[in-house]
This record gives sequence, C-alpha cells and structure tokens, in this order.
Amino acid sequence: MRAIVHSTTKAAWGFCVFTLAIVLPALVQAQSADDAQSVKALTISSSGALLTLQGSDLFAMEGGTSTKIALPATDQSAQPTTLARGADGRVYLAGPGLGVWRYDGAGESWQSLNNTLPDLGVTAMAAHATQPGTLYAYLGKDGMFRSRDGGAEWVKVDSGPQEPVQAFLHSDMPGSMESGWLFAGTTRGVSRSMDCFCFWGDAGDLRGKVSAISYNPAAPENVYAVIERQLHHSADGGETWTSLKVPQPVTALAFSPSQGLVVGTANGNLLARGAADEWTPVHE
Amino acid sequence: MNNWIYSFILLAAPVIAGASGGPESADSTPTGVSQGRQVYEQYCAVCHGWQGEGAANWKKPDEKGEMPPPPHDETGHTWRHSDAMLFKMVTKGWRHPFNKTERLTMPAFEDSLTEQEIHSVIEYLKTLWTDEQKKYQATESQ
Repeated sequence: MRAIVHSTTKAAWGFCVFTLAIVLPALVQAQSADDAQSVKALTISSSGALLTLQGSDLFAMEGGTSTKIALPATDQSAQPTTLARGADGRVYLAGPGLGVWRYDGAGESWQSLNNTLPDLGVTAMAAHATQPGTLYAYLGKDGMFRSRDGGAEWVKVDSGPQEPVQAFLHSDMPGSMESGWLFAGTTRGVSRSMDCFCFWGDAGDLRGKVSAISYNPAAPENVYAVIERQLHHSADGGETWTSLKVPQPVTALAFSPSQGLVVGTANGNLLARGAADEWTPVHE
Repeated sequence: MNNWIYSFILLAAPVIAGASGGPESADSTPTGVSQGRQVYEQYCAVCHGWQGEGAANWKKPDEKGEMPPPPHDETGHTWRHSDAMLFKMVTKGWRHPFNKTERLTMPAFEDSLTEQEIHSVIEYLKTLWTDEQKKYQATESQ
C-alpha cells in the first residue's frame, strides 16, 4: 500500500514539474512578447510625426512611413520609458538608468542632459508647456528637479508627492500662481500642484497606479490618465474623473494637433478618438 | 530690590525673545521690516496667523470648499514666489481656481496699502524663512 502511495505521489510530482517546465517558458515568452509589443510611450514631434517607444525601439510614423530611430548608446540596464516634447518641439527621452536625453532631428543624434543630475534614476519627466528651456525630472531616490536652460543645469526644487511618481505632465491650464500646473501620476492616483511646487494635493479621488498622463493643449482643463490600462478623463482639471471605453488596453497617451487624443495600446496599436468618441486605428 | 529685578525682566524679555530665533524684533531690524511687521499684524495676521503659521489643514478645502489661508513661515510656500508675484498677490488678491465659491479669498489690498507698505510687508515675510528658502526666493526674484 505504502509503495502505491509513494509511486502515485512521485508520478504527481513528475507531472507537476513537467507541466511547469512546459508552461512557464511559454508564459514568460508571452509576457515578453506583450512587453515588446506594448507601446510604452508616445509623443508628437514638431513635424507632426507620431513617435512611439515600443520595447527598446523608437519609431517615427509620418506620411505613411515608419522610421526606426536609434536610441542613445547607454548601459544595458537603461530602460527608456518616457517621451516628452518641449515647447520648442524638441523631443526628450528618459528612463531609469538612462537619465534625460534630447534628440537632435537634424543630426539624428542624442544629447545627454545628465551632467548635473545626481543620478540616472529618472522615473518620469515632463517639458514645460510654453517655456522651451524648462524641463522637469523626477528621480526615484532624490525627488523633483527642474532645469530652466534645456537640461544644462538641474536644481532640486521639491520632494514631490508622497508616493513615487510614474508619469509627469506640465500643463498651461489657467489659474496657476505661476506659469502652469504639474500633474504627477503616482502609485496612488493623480497628484496636482501649481508649477511653483507650492504643495501637492490629490487631483480628485481617482485611485490606482498611474502609468500615463496627458492633456488637451487646446482645452487644458481636459486631462487624461491611465490606471491599470484603463483610460480616465477629467474635464475640470482633475477635480472629477470618468472612465472612457477603449477597445484595447491602453498603455500610452499623446495629444496630436491633427488627430486629437491618440492612445498606444498593449497590442502595439495606435488608436485615435473620433468626434463621436469612436476609436479608429492611426495608419502610418 | 525685587521691584528692580521685575523691571529688568520686563524690559529685557522682549529683547531676549527677539534675539532667540523668532521673527526679528522691531528694534533690531531695518525700518522696512519693522514697518512690514506692523502692516502684517494689522492686515494679514488675522487670517495668516500672528507668527505666520497659517490656518490649520490649509492644504485641504474647508467646509465652504475654499482653500484656507496658507502659512507665510517656513512651513508654507510663500518663499517659492518671486517678489513680483507676491506683490501682485497682495495688490490684486487671489482666489484658488478650484474653490467652490467665487469670492477672492485673499482680498486685494491695492486700495488699502501703499506700494511701499506692500514691499515692506514682503520684506517682513522674508524674516520668517530659512536661509535656504531666502536663497531660493532670491533666485526666483531675479
């Protein structure tokens, strides 16, 4: 009897190990494929091209063509996660282990803006909506830094909200004591401050880990945030939020002057929101 | 003898208090700051506190949906604004854009105070900040 039980247990363990050996790699591969495909960040260049960060590749989509842009040569551990466009149309790339870089479209090269940052652990960055040289970077270990000279000199200005910042936005929404507002997507929700860094407060009661945030420059009270791949919209500067239905899980956001709100999805697609709130693929 | 001691304490106490880290006393500061303190106590302290401590829970809207008066000392954000912005706020007043009421919660003082009085009250506020904050604010004012 004991021998039968022993044999059965041994067979069950063998089956489990076999199943794990077959299923786990497939799961990991599926996850990796999803990560590689997913649109991590999105912005619009000064020429109107959609720039998408997918996996560790950057693409410019314009006039029916898609062009791959080589990323800066950095350490293997660098993770590009954020794209931003400055008020002068220049494009910035940032991420943990990468710091902040600026793209020179004419020379097709990247310039490091990391000389005066204390480290490269940038988890979120934003460009001022109207001042070309003003940039903001959030460093997980060190708090919030601002540069007013295009990244030559960074100065620590604040610790930031209580929770770590995952996504960052500067908006020229009216009503600020200074020149605009900062929206920080944190692990708890959306936090908001005037750009004097006067104090960070909750922007409404939207809760969850924010992975992307954007706004409509033509109607700045309209703010969009992604939580758990679900898109949310505020029409009153972050006071109240409603959920928006999108046919695919949303991973990135940008506002295009010609196409309005564009979302990047976990499936690697780009969808634009039409006038009747329908979502249509953005064709390259 | 005791009367002498009490008189000495009464005369010396304000001087010692002024020299021990609180807001600078009128006697030991430039005229502008001294005047600024008087203006502050007459017009500002009733809302922003006698020591510039602001309202309790000033970061959250009150029952009327208005943002309460913030501190002006080192715990607030006054030091984050340039002289020009502070002058504008005192002159024209201020309403937080997300207040549920329409009134100016920070009244406009352009009809009550002269420009010189407003500048002096800003100079007084600077005595409530840390050295690092003063340096930050000086950079913002450039």
